[in-house]
Amino acid sequence: MIIEFLKMGGYGFYVWLSFLIVFTFCSLLFYKTRKTLKKYEKEFAKELDKLPAEHKKRIAKSSKVISSILASKNKLS
Amino acid sequence: MEFFSFGNIIVYIDKFIKFINSIFFVILIIGISFALIISPVDYLQGDSVRIMYVHVPSAWIGLSIFSLIAVSTILNFIFKIKNLFLLIKSLAPIGLLFTCLSIVTGSIWGKPTWGTWWAWDARLTSMLVLMLFYVLFIISLKYFKNNENLTKILSILSILGIINIPIIKYSVEWWSTLHQPASIKFLGTSSIHPSMLIPLFLMLLVLLLYCALIFLMKYKTEIIKIKKQNIKRL
Amino acid sequence: MLTKKIKTRLLFLVSIILITLSFLIFIYLNLKQNILYFKTPSEIFTNTTIEASSMIRVGGMVKKDSIQQNNKEIRFILTDYKKELIVVYSGTVPNLFSEEQGAVVEGILNDKKYLIADRILAKHDENYMPPQMKKILKENAK
Repeated sequence: MIIEFLKMGGYGFYVWLSFLIVFTFCSLLFYKTRKTLKKYEKEFAKELDKLPAEHKKRIAKSSKVISSILASKNKLS
Repeated sequence: MEFFSFGNIIVYIDKFIKFINSIFFVILIIGISFALIISPVDYLQGDSVRIMYVHVPSAWIGLSIFSLIAVSTILNFIFKIKNLFLLIKSLAPIGLLFTCLSIVTGSIWGKPTWGTWWAWDARLTSMLVLMLFYVLFIISLKYFKNNENLTKILSILSILGIINIPIIKYSVEWWSTLHQPASIKFLGTSSIHPSMLIPLFLMLLVLLLYCALIFLMKYKTEIIKIKKQNIKRL
Repeated sequence: MLTKKIKTRLLFLVSIILITLSFLIFIYLNLKQNILYFKTPSEIFTNTTIEASSMIRVGGMVKKDSIQQNNKEIRFILTDYKKELIVVYSGTVPNLFSEEQGAVVEGILNDKKYLIADRILAKHDENYMPPQMKKILKENAK
């Protein structure tokens, strides 16, 4: 039955190949996008660390962007 | 305009990403099982009809994303809205991916159905032209650093490219092509049996959610890039 | 709202649109013949510019009960319900090639009603349905 399913009435090669291609390229783009996002989040956090402490504290409270980045960075570590 | 500040946008992006992450895999599994197992075979094509469930949504997404970025580019060229530019930058790669996927899966479907991988008919050629426009678009986004020139070039590409969109859509009606006419119409009944429409729309939903996820992640990356440059001024 | 800057940009866009449109019309008028992937049997019949013994693509329906096959070649009639064209082909045909289905043949025209094909492509229509549904439709038609 499983062999029957994989064969797809003789069209198995074409059906599986097209689904495989779609799946592979979609995951590739996903991982590439996520990698870039993480990279920039990390770099941003590093830059933030360089700032003087009280300045950092002040903007961390006021900026939503920074709190979002810090939140997702904390989740990682 | 305050609503569209980067701070507000990034909060919504985080919420949406979380939401999509929570439902994506459930819908993916439902969609795949409908497309590959539950849906019936076609009376003529047999199981190769299943390729349609990824081919057609990919083509739709490729076309609609191009229309969207073309309109945004022109609006951005006239009014210079920063968020629109980020939208264009984040959407273009997704559109290119799906245009390529629809060409490749279409060609895989064509081999067993028509008996050839490729034919230079109007539909297939115009789709290839769309892919070319995407490539030119992305190359210009990468290599033109000067903003004024970049928006000008992008607008030219958009205008040229958007003329191609109705050509793709109606090529199968205006000219004799190897590609069959559209099965799903905005008005009137579709010529696809309902048992095959369910997997088609489920797969469309899956791919749309995927697009949204990639788009939000790319948008967030772009915002962070800008904020990083301005970090000293915060 | 419409500052001078925006007006110049609009002007730029409109001129680009006009230029492209005129180009497109020019290209379209030139390509009118080549843009068609195939011709129909009636077009071949009426068109006097088509030379015999030139490569050509013809599309139409395979006429019912017209397929004759022996071990060397396959012979069938391609029709657009007005004019008919006899096609001779040696080689394998695509899976979907059958009677009362669309097909596109590529080959050399020998006379105006006789075509020696190099390649046969099956043309699929826009209907998708499960086999049971087709059966019901067929029975209803009777």
